[in-house]
Amino acid sequence: MEQVIALPYKWWAEAVTVWLIVAVVIYLIVAIPGIYFIYKYRYKPGEREIGDHDFEGHMGLEALLTIIPLLTVIFLATYSFTIFKKQRTVPDGAMTIKVTAFMWGWQFDYLDENGKVIKTVVTGYHANDYNLQEFEKPVIPAGKPIRALLTSMDVIHSFFVLPARITEDMVPGRTTYLWFQINKPGEYWVFCREYCGTGHSHMFTKLKVVPPEQFTAWLYGKNEVAIKSNNKEVAR
Amino acid sequence: MLYFTTSFLVFLIAGVFGLLVRLEQSVPGMQVVDFKTYNYLLTGHGVGMLFWWAIAAHIGGFGNFLLPLMIGAKDVAFPRLNALSWWAFFAANVLFLMTLIPGNHIMTMWTGYPPFSLNNDAGVTALYVFVMHLLGASSIATAVNFLVTYITMRAPGYTFFKTNLFVHTLIAANVIQLVGVPSLAGAVTMLFLDKYLGTNFFNPAKGGDPLIYQNIFWFYSHPVVYVQVLPVFGFYSEIIPVFARRPLFGYTSMVFAVWAITAVSFFLWIHHMFVSGVPNWTRVLFSYTTLLIAVPTGIKIFNWMLTLYRGAIHFRSQMLYALGGVFMFLIGGLTGLPLGMVAIDLGVSDSLFVVGHFHYVLGMAITLGILGAVIHWFPLATGKYYPENLGKLSFWLIFAGANIFYFLQMVAGMLGNPRRYPDYPPIPEWTTLHVIQTIGALILGVGVVIFTYGIIKGLKSGEKASDNPWKSPSLEWKVGVPARAHGHGDHPPRVEPDWHPYRYDKEEILK
Ligand code: HEM
Ligand SMILES: [Cu+2]
Ligand SMILES: [Cu+2]
Repeated sequence: MEQVIALPYKWWAEAVTVWLIVAVVIYLIVAIPGIYFIYKYRYKPGEREIGDHDFEGHMGLEALLTIIPLLTVIFLATYSFTIFKKQRTVPDGAMTIKVTAFMWGWQFDYLDENGKVIKTVVTGYHANDYNLQEFEKPVIPAGKPIRALLTSMDVIHSFFVLPARITEDMVPGRTTYLWFQINKPGEYWVFCREYCGTGHSHMFTKLKVVPPEQFTAWLYGKNEVAIKSNNKEVAR
Repeated sequence: MLYFTTSFLVFLIAGVFGLLVRLEQSVPGMQVVDFKTYNYLLTGHGVGMLFWWAIAAHIGGFGNFLLPLMIGAKDVAFPRLNALSWWAFFAANVLFLMTLIPGNHIMTMWTGYPPFSLNNDAGVTALYVFVMHLLGASSIATAVNFLVTYITMRAPGYTFFKTNLFVHTLIAANVIQLVGVPSLAGAVTMLFLDKYLGTNFFNPAKGGDPLIYQNIFWFYSHPVVYVQVLPVFGFYSEIIPVFARRPLFGYTSMVFAVWAITAVSFFLWIHHMFVSGVPNWTRVLFSYTTLLIAVPTGIKIFNWMLTLYRGAIHFRSQMLYALGGVFMFLIGGLTGLPLGMVAIDLGVSDSLFVVGHFHYVLGMAITLGILGAVIHWFPLATGKYYPENLGKLSFWLIFAGANIFYFLQMVAGMLGNPRRYPDYPPIPEWTTLHVIQTIGALILGVGVVIFTYGIIKGLKSGEKASDNPWKSPSLEWKVGVPARAHGHGDHPPRVEPDWHPYRYDKEEILK
């Protein structure tokens, strides 16, 4: 079985592949004849001095070149729709975390079934480097879908989980959501992707993904769990 | 002329800003400027490039010059309104230059999203608002003037289906301006009232909603990309047939494509808001409308390619610029598809992929088109030729540099690099991509400098041009070289029933 590192990354990557194939095919269909024409029909003194004036249009050809692209884009939009449904439908049994953004960091509130806060992690703002203290890293269990409820205290920020390739804006006065799941323990980047001022490019944190038992121990325990040292940092 | 000179100067300034932004991103860490200066430079780059270069260069600059000449008129309909429009534009320049003064920096980014723009960290939002208002007033005056000129002043016999494509695209762009600019003006006015006079349109704590701004803003600012690109499609359509020595393929479908793009352009704006928290169903709906615009756009690309078929192609430098522009646009269009496919956009929204994509379209397809147009109509405006060797050299440098730069920018975006980031973590792949991008940007910069030198050289010591140097049947060349101040004067040229702007004399050979 292939190893799926993160969701919805898997489906996103499939969609990118489909697009890339379509795009390359279209590119070749247009560019190869184009370059060939440029080469073949260049001006040659005494041989090719004036262009052909009879071929000013061709109804059938023009209609074909309208219908094929039309079908292609309808296919792409519909395909994207099917992937979108998976990206935006939170799986049953997802764990909920409430994330509140501020200039320039996030507060993660871990909620129980009744919506009560069990634990809170606040990421700090580091203007000069990309290092974090252990207590600033939100922890999540590997292999479990996470629903993040997003909002903001000041300006619009955005929550981008890099390994899952999913973003959603965090708008003051609104609660938005996204969901993701990471199967492989390790540390993964989270960035802010909506411009939010001076600290925008340093509004980041690292998600620490740990095996579920370790996660429970962390959630209810007082101390930090150190991640097993053989889990190298994964930066994708 | 004044318009174009100003636009070009701002293009150079904004280009320097862009290069500084690029240099700062070359390697992780902060080396060239600090965060706040960076945010100012990026704001200035975006505003300058979009509003001065990509809109004003061809509409204000070329539109005023070419529109009357192409339709066989004496001047635009309201010369005084035209002057007013120029002064509003000039005042916007003064304000734009004032933002250079430290303490007057605007750091809102060109989009000016609240509530950030209401925050003190955003700098002097008022300057941004006034710049937009002046530009907006100028655009509306121009739009009215051009529409009336086109409707009332065409030479007898110059009908809708004999209209040059540049004129079609120019008029279409100005229709968009007329419908859209008031919406932008409304958005920034509300911003101003919120920030300085205590209203709460966008303040959620008092019942406002920041997404209202985004909706009004993008209702105009999405169509505006067609305002920017349509006249450039016009340039391609004028230049390619002349140097392929044959009529434009599919003229009628080109005209329909222009007007289809104009109509559809108003129904796509939500694609800028795919991750803003709007309901899921709107995202899917707008995904369909967004992709739909690829169809008329595709028609145009196919027709340019088919115009080459069985031509006799001359590689004058403006032809290189036009063909290069079409190829850049092809890549720009194909990389626009994933941004319209909402499923992919959720993963690349607000990343460098988006920036790479729109530089293919705006940065390069538009810039190459405008630079090609400068070379093409240089004799008509100045009576001299643009130096051909400098034209070719600058083209190849810009084309190569831009592809290195923007292609890798898209790759970095696919790997997840967010946009508007002066700094980023030292992820080795990212760093490599950024270093090579900077090299590409520098090559591009050298190309632009050489192009600029070509303009100066052409003006000072260019070879004297002959009448109708490219042997085009289009009416603007009927006034002689350089064009007289009063265009066709009081005697419009004769438009024969079988005349068409792209139909050459079959026997005539361009040397
Ligand atoms: C000398 C050539 C150019 C260079 C070196 C350049 C460089 C850049 C860079 C590095 C960015 C920032 C990417 C980011 O981190 O977000 C950027 C953004 C941008 N560029 Fe350019 N660019 C050039 C030409 C153009 C042209 C010709 C246009 C438009 C006609 C343009 C329009 C923009 C816009 C609208 C932005 C986004 C600003 C924002 O995020 O608010 N650029 N450019
Ligand atoms: Cu942020
Ligand atoms: Cu941010």
